[in-house]
Amino acid sequence: MLIHRRHFLAGTGAAAGALALPRFAIGQADNRPTITIAVQQISNSASLEPLREQSNVGERTFSFIYEGLIMRNLLSQMETIPGLAESWKRIDGRTVELSLRKGVKFHNGDEMTADDVVFTFSRERMFGPDYDIGSSKTLFANVLIRDSVEGKALPPEVMAVAKRAWPALEKVEAIDKYTVRFVNRTPDVTMEGRIARYGSEIISRRAYEEAKTWLDWARKPVSTGPYKVRDFKPDQELVLDAHEDYWNGRPPVKTVRIVVVPEVASRINGLLSGQFDFACDMPPDQIPGIEKNARFEVQGGLIANHRLTVFDKNHAQLKDPRVRQAFTHAIDRQAIVDSLWAGRTRVPAGLQWEFYGPMFVEGWTVPEFNPQKAKDLLKQAGYKGDPIPYRLISNYYTNQNSTAQVLLEMWRQVGLNVHIDMKENWQQIFENNGQRAVRDWSNSAPFTDPISSIVNQHGPQGQQQQAQEWSNEEMNRLSIAMETETDMPKRKAMFKRMLEICEREDPAYTVLHQNATFTAKRKDIKWKSAPAFAMDFRHYNFQRV
Amino acid sequence: MLSFIASRLARAALTIVFVVTFAFVVLRLSGDPAMLIMSVDAPPEAIVAFRKAWGLDEPIWQQYLAYAAKALTGDFGNSMRDGRPAIELVLERVPMTLAITLPAFLIKICLGIPAGIFAALYRNSALDRLTMMVSVAGFTVPSFVLALVLVLVFSVQLGWLPSSGNDHWQSAILPIITLGLSGAAILARFTRSAMLEVLGQPYIRTASAKGVPWHRVVRGHALPNAAIPTVTIVGFMIGSLIAGAVVVESVFAWPGVGRLLVSAVSNRDLAVVQAVLLAIALSMVAANLVVDIAYGWLDPRLRRGRAQH
Repeated sequence: MLIHRRHFLAGTGAAAGALALPRFAIGQADNRPTITIAVQQISNSASLEPLREQSNVGERTFSFIYEGLIMRNLLSQMETIPGLAESWKRIDGRTVELSLRKGVKFHNGDEMTADDVVFTFSRERMFGPDYDIGSSKTLFANVLIRDSVEGKALPPEVMAVAKRAWPALEKVEAIDKYTVRFVNRTPDVTMEGRIARYGSEIISRRAYEEAKTWLDWARKPVSTGPYKVRDFKPDQELVLDAHEDYWNGRPPVKTVRIVVVPEVASRINGLLSGQFDFACDMPPDQIPGIEKNARFEVQGGLIANHRLTVFDKNHAQLKDPRVRQAFTHAIDRQAIVDSLWAGRTRVPAGLQWEFYGPMFVEGWTVPEFNPQKAKDLLKQAGYKGDPIPYRLISNYYTNQNSTAQVLLEMWRQVGLNVHIDMKENWQQIFENNGQRAVRDWSNSAPFTDPISSIVNQHGPQGQQQQAQEWSNEEMNRLSIAMETETDMPKRKAMFKRMLEICEREDPAYTVLHQNATFTAKRKDIKWKSAPAFAMDFRHYNFQRV
Repeated sequence: MLSFIASRLARAALTIVFVVTFAFVVLRLSGDPAMLIMSVDAPPEAIVAFRKAWGLDEPIWQQYLAYAAKALTGDFGNSMRDGRPAIELVLERVPMTLAITLPAFLIKICLGIPAGIFAALYRNSALDRLTMMVSVAGFTVPSFVLALVLVLVFSVQLGWLPSSGNDHWQSAILPIITLGLSGAAILARFTRSAMLEVLGQPYIRTASAKGVPWHRVVRGHALPNAAIPTVTIVGFMIGSLIAGAVVVESVFAWPGVGRLLVSAVSNRDLAVVQAVLLAIALSMVAANLVVDIAYGWLDPRLRRGRAQH
């Protein structure tokens, strides 16, 4: 067993301290453990600010530090639950009123009040000084990250992300010390979802104002989560200490060290040798090898992200929707799930998740696997076997290359002449030169409504249409109407129609499978993974056995 | 000797300009940092704003001129990821890399050169064969394979050493051994070949025939003459002290210049990649310069030949 110098020093210090302490303190000795979690990356943008770091790795890191007014149930199906707000109610179609939890302390010891909530959603912190409430256009100040190092100017991407998360927020106002109101410009049933989404976490106004620069803030943010930032070295490690005044029970871990170990093999070896307690981002093919050792287990969680194959309907061979339909019917999705994911994920019911609740379209499925139907469609469309390029980045997604090879063979079986066109980056993937036809993508649902997924990505403002790959007049009309429609049965009917258009009639994409993330861990720690990248280390989800 | 040094200095400066220019052009043609740094799902307006903010929407020659003008004043640009000066980020990592490459360099010298000399002196003996067998193995096995084998043995099976990171001084042992062993193997092979070539020369036979004791023949005649090709390899190793650990740093999660380079390239953090490449080019060029000068010192013919011109 390794004796770490740090542990030795800590032990020596603790022993010396114990001798010096008054007798009554000894009975309350802190025997909580320090745990080390090996990850691929802590934050891609070298910051701990959710409005700048829009990534899966960021979601994991921030789950330790930040909390929102409404939260997602990490130990169930990600449904919304009360967070820093005890309750909320609708005042009207464009106003939500929330009652804040009393006595919640920030990492700096201040009590969270309505003033902090208002500040969190202010121009100063979120939207930038040029934000125009009346405009639906995203405005940008021409600032560099460099400027934000020297002062408090917001980097341009912070404002862009904020505007994407809250496209029509008029104001957040304090009614009293513990009551706030979110007011939208237009009626919007997704406001509660947006309050619960990534990026709407509450921060301490005093801590933000005291930070000398924006980067100082982004490196040591102050929120109310169970762990607070002690030290952050980008690309190396993040050390978090238990937030002793945490409102939702004493954190069970004294110190959490999140270390960057880019190589999968190194993360696994570190776990097996006892250097790490948890190793994240395990590829499915490594799971049997790890679980051979009785001391370790791998926990998997389906995450709110679906893998897609996306079509460019302007490509000469894909103009006829029947060719794209043939693509969707040629795929044996279950075979991909069984062979490449060892059955640890699933084929979902199209681009939707059960946590949509009343908006979930029951009975909807991905197109059936029917090679004969695919062949018939190609025949009807008059497809003559002309080549169709499939642009691919090497393993950006888990199992991406092997999935592509399987797809290629399935498409070949029905007569589609698809060839892989390897690309180095996303700019090359999106390059519109007439040779863009099929590519990979994924889609997430940041909150519990289809607006966050199908409209966000495939609607008129979504990236697929912005990149001029696909467009559909009816889909665009529905997307705009759905933003402000408040009648739930009507909204659900709209969503169902969107699925029919985008997945069947005029395919914009086809869903392959749900994505999953796997975490290897010591078996003697009782802990449950979430159906998300977020990790929950609160008192009810951590126990040494 | 002065004109010799001056011509070498001019060539070194030109090499650095070429490296910086080549890196600038290739990096900008091979990918857009905006989409990588801001994620593929970033709103298109944000991508446009990012490109504008960093001058990526300007023609490449304008970007290059602006970069060159600033570089001449010592400003190598700021990291697009965290805004700090790129050169500061690189200099921060240099000591970490040297912490493993310098001891590894000592291992290479102390193990590789004597092994090569003994293998040559005892040519075709069991010692020679064993040394060369180990050397060929060390030379051909990629460093990441050796690294993983060492981790499996010393970390996973025996539990003696940490498998990665830089938490304590023991963390450096496996990276140092990995780098040191593969370098020593290369050096042993080169030293052996150089020694064998020298040992076959007529002046060695003459010295032996004159009755000079063998150990003095080796020390006085063979070793100095075999040093020149060996110094070339050693010089190359000195030059790669900063950049020679890219793979090993990645495998061991060692936060040095190599890992900075990998993450900067994958994020297209242009200023940082260029600052790293500049540091690598400088160290390589400086090492070559030292080697060139060392040639002149080691080989009187070169020195005199230059002096006559």
